[in-house]
Amino acid sequence: MKKQKLWKLCLIIATGLVAFFYILSVLTTSTEEGMSFISEKDRAQLKLWGKEAERLYLVGDKKQLNNWLTVLKTQENIWVAVASFNIEHIAGEKLKERLHGGQHFGRDVDWKIHLYFEKNPTMELQFNQVNASFLIELPARMRPGSYWLTTRIIMQILLPMAILILLATLLYRHIITPLQQLENATSAFSKGNFDVRVRKLLGDRNDELSHLASTFDQMAIRIGELISNQRQLISDLSHELRTPLTRLDIAVNNFESKNSRHHIDRIARESLHIRKLVEDTLTLAWLENEKPIIKIEKVDLVDLLDVVIDDAKFEFPDRDLKFNSPTNAVINNSSHQALCPALENIIRNALRYTPVSKSVVVHLYLDAGNYCISVSDKGPGIPEKYLDKVFNPFFRVENSRIAENDSFGLGLALAKRHLISVRAKITAVNQQEGGLRVMITIPIH
Amino acid sequence: MSKIKILLIEDDNILNNYLADLLIKSGYDVGQCFDGISGLKRAQTKDHQLILLDKMLPKLDGVSLLKTLRETSQIPVIMVSAKGAEEERILGLSHGADDYIAKPFNSRELLLRIEGLLRRSQPILAPVSLGELSIDGLTLNATKQIVHVEEQQIEVTTIQFKLLWELVSKQYQTVSKADLYQSVLNKKLGAYDRSLDMHLSRVRRKLNEANWLGERLQTVHGKGYCFK
Repeated sequence: MKKQKLWKLCLIIATGLVAFFYILSVLTTSTEEGMSFISEKDRAQLKLWGKEAERLYLVGDKKQLNNWLTVLKTQENIWVAVASFNIEHIAGEKLKERLHGGQHFGRDVDWKIHLYFEKNPTMELQFNQVNASFLIELPARMRPGSYWLTTRIIMQILLPMAILILLATLLYRHIITPLQQLENATSAFSKGNFDVRVRKLLGDRNDELSHLASTFDQMAIRIGELISNQRQLISDLSHELRTPLTRLDIAVNNFESKNSRHHIDRIARESLHIRKLVEDTLTLAWLENEKPIIKIEKVDLVDLLDVVIDDAKFEFPDRDLKFNSPTNAVINNSSHQALCPALENIIRNALRYTPVSKSVVVHLYLDAGNYCISVSDKGPGIPEKYLDKVFNPFFRVENSRIAENDSFGLGLALAKRHLISVRAKITAVNQQEGGLRVMITIPIH
Repeated sequence: MSKIKILLIEDDNILNNYLADLLIKSGYDVGQCFDGISGLKRAQTKDHQLILLDKMLPKLDGVSLLKTLRETSQIPVIMVSAKGAEEERILGLSHGADDYIAKPFNSRELLLRIEGLLRRSQPILAPVSLGELSIDGLTLNATKQIVHVEEQQIEVTTIQFKLLWELVSKQYQTVSKADLYQSVLNKKLGAYDRSLDMHLSRVRRKLNEANWLGERLQTVHGKGYCFK
């Protein structure tokens, strides 16, 4: 998957271009060859003249032959002759038989003509029956390859140029189109459209650019989430602050010195309420934004739960709190300071919603590499449709009129995020026999 | 006995004056500073027994101030922070301060912290009563660091032994958590730190397992522990 684009480019440019120019060169050579031959018709004409010359020669009338040659010379405006030779042996071995056949004075009509020679060649048409040849300078009208220059310009300059321009355009579009899409997305994002995504616009390509698009999308999702959480939190917080502030105002305005103890208590209560609200919101914002993973110590869950349960029993002496556990439950890489507020909150909640003298059961057990803590209460439970929402900040079940001072709908949200910071999970289910059961799963390592 | 002097370094005028009033009412002598540079100068005069230091200060922030101060002085410092307090508590950051308190805080909590820190910073009389303690079949041997219930030996860690020793040797006295943190764990009590309570729960369990009444180590809620 690494360097997809590099390999693609290497393949296209290096291999592709070498192959292209090789084919082009082969094609040029064969075209040139094809264009170097005298056309059929002209060849037939030349052969016809050769036959006529032989006929006249065989008749033996030199004058008639000369006359014919003169006519031909004038007609075609070329050099013509009929010639023959005798072979004289001077030295060396005996001469071979076939010396008379073949070309001696000029080119055969079936041979190709060198197109790069300025002058037209002399053609030789051998007489069949005697040792003589009809010689004729190739007439200009019969010279082949009159379109060779044009063809060569097309094949060696225009064609490769066109193909290279096409290739460059394709490559440009292949690379620049996604970049343009990314640019559009980035500018839309900077204008506040956090829903913009790029990856799906790039189709099914899988290379550096599509990876960049995926990374952009992840960033967009994360930042969008962060900003919307932040907005939600600020709006919820300011909303939640109104109530205690109003109550505080009223308490201050109605302050009477004769009953000062009562008023001071009210003021203190409201101030505590506001303070806790702000503190919890800040903690939540930190956990939400930084999403820290805390691994600083070993924690024995039995000890921690003992402490929490001891406190809870003191706070709710009229409920029955049962704790089933092994003697030890050590987890590594955790933090009791993150676990403790979460467990406290969940156990306290369970006790608060459980009627007096009823029992809450805390059960700690080992399950497949995790320690599980279940907290089951005898309260009213939570309507099924809200079960996954109770962990949202400031969420309250409608019409829940439990207006206790320290209940803002932040407790479970905080608990969940505290648990996430030590890699633990939390879920809530309604029990068949009534009441809520909160399940916490904490990894041992 | 002369009054204890506390140095307040806090840039918010109103809060600084409120705190000064509060501390004076509670019987302390107070020096006030409103920025980091002058705060550091006053702190280095060593006229004070305790410093209440805001973390966010103009000119020189609280953390840098404390770092410079710590080169020459071990004066007890309570750091006051408004931002990220929870984060610092959970991650156990102290920046060299002896205690940590987050805005918004309440005045009673602050006074308790000051009192506790002053008490802890007095030279501690080392417990010389090494040897053996024995109560109702529970025997603690300090030289060997072992615990017996009747004839049965109980496995305890050094910390658990120290904790048990501290409480048993002060029978019927409530020992505050802050003191126990100092003497047993040798660290300051943090707001969310429950490690001491966890050690105590474990000791209780071990005593119960040995058929000794672990509940005699009682929790005095909001204060500390007491062996009865």
